[in-house]
Amino acid sequence: MKSLQIAATGMAAQQMRVDVISNNIANMSTAAYRPRSAEFSDLVYQQYLTPGTSTSQVGTLVPAGIQIGTGVRPSTVSMELTQGALNPTDAELDLAIDGSGYFEITLPSGESAYTRDGKFNRGQDGQIVTMDGFPLTDGIIIPDDAQKISISRDGEVVAYFAGVTEGQAIGNIQLVRFVNEKGLEAMGDNLFRETQASGTPTQLVPGTEGAGFIRQGFLEGSGVDVVKEISELIEAQRGYELNSKVITASDEMLAATTRVK
Amino acid sequence: MSNAIYAMLGRQQGLMQEMQVVANNLANSSTTGYKSDRALFGEFLVATGSQSSSLSMGGLAGHSFAMAQGALKITGGEMDLAIQGDGFFLVNTEQGQRLTRAGHFQLSTDGQLVDMNGSAVLSSGGTPINIPQNASEIRVAADGTVTISAGDGLPPQEVGQIGVVTVDEEATLVRDSNSYFSAPDGHRPAENNEIVQGALEQSNVSPVLEVARMIEVQRAYEAGQALFEREDQRVSQIISAIRNG
Repeated sequence: MKSLQIAATGMAAQQMRVDVISNNIANMSTAAYRPRSAEFSDLVYQQYLTPGTSTSQVGTLVPAGIQIGTGVRPSTVSMELTQGALNPTDAELDLAIDGSGYFEITLPSGESAYTRDGKFNRGQDGQIVTMDGFPLTDGIIIPDDAQKISISRDGEVVAYFAGVTEGQAIGNIQLVRFVNEKGLEAMGDNLFRETQASGTPTQLVPGTEGAGFIRQGFLEGSGVDVVKEISELIEAQRGYELNSKVITASDEMLAATTRVK
Repeated sequence: MSNAIYAMLGRQQGLMQEMQVVANNLANSSTTGYKSDRALFGEFLVATGSQSSSLSMGGLAGHSFAMAQGALKITGGEMDLAIQGDGFFLVNTEQGQRLTRAGHFQLSTDGQLVDMNGSAVLSSGGTPINIPQNASEIRVAADGTVTISAGDGLPPQEVGQIGVVTVDEEATLVRDSNSYFSAPDGHRPAENNEIVQGALEQSNVSPVLEVARMIEVQRAYEAGQALFEREDQRVSQIISAIRNG
């Protein structure tokens, strides 16, 4: 009785959809979080009678054949590339990317990671570091006595000192872009890692070659649309119930079979 | 065994298979671009001997899929495309060209527009669509023309046209996994359609119809089983009548 297994694949798929939705809702306040969506594909078809096989010696062909599907599988859980809302914070090292691109971070292992979460702080050596203390790869050192930091739309970092009107340029923040952003591997902590699918990163000056601008004093909010997630959740729940009804009906058919003798 | 039981057996097997079709439809009620399936029953005749008339049996003879338009779900993704109207996207898989209505596309490492299984999306002429790396925005027009804008001040640039193709006889399409169809008789450019960017076509499975069908199949099956029981009783009555007679 295959319909039992087919319905089970349907229930597993809807269950996975609920998992994805619940993770989205849980991250509705995570800075620069991009919602994920689960996509499904049908499984292989059993060809009981292939269309186009001949049914007579004069060449009559089976017009449609009999193909019976075997269920559903999750095909991808992909990141929706939506721009989150830019929320003003007025902190001088809160940076938001308006458009496409990622900040490049150096992990303690020396490996690079990428993030859109621009909640930066001054590290103990004057580096610009993330909430977890990982520095920006651009290697900008903010002098200890700098009073104010200004970061332009195209990433130029200027430090101002007490008693001096002229600022001093101390470096540039660059953004990186990937050919296929959806191919990045999420590491948690708002960080991503490069994979074969994402392609290699290209370093760009903000605002050029398709990269977004940097906005100082803003943070990018989560891209999750809660209303949309809830309506998806309702759909997933009902889908789950429908598949469980198939299991009940198939079970009753089996029961009818066993009642015969 | 009597012919009544054989005739019923064919029917019961067919109902079991139809239940699978219903189960598969419901399992794919959230599959992008899925088209619901229907089982078709046919009659065939079995000779029962030279003296008696032949016996008519029913069995699963074919299937058809409902090509009705699925609802469009707005996702806002710039590489989420849906076809409103006739036709299929053409993709290049390892097994050859396939047709699909599932338009959840993305870019491959080398900048080609690919579907979620990594197969390149083709123009109706069969060429892949390459998106330059400096594209900041991708626009897909209703006729499938892909235009990119590459940063400030640069004029928009046309990079290709996504093909929408169809076949003369939809019944000849063979279903493949991954929401693909293969067209053994070839395909031709489709008319009467438009591509909608930022939307995905949802499965066209109607839960109400499927549940109604499921109940019907289940009850028909149970009725068939009752007939088995009745037939069994009849035969055993004959046996006991002969024995006692």
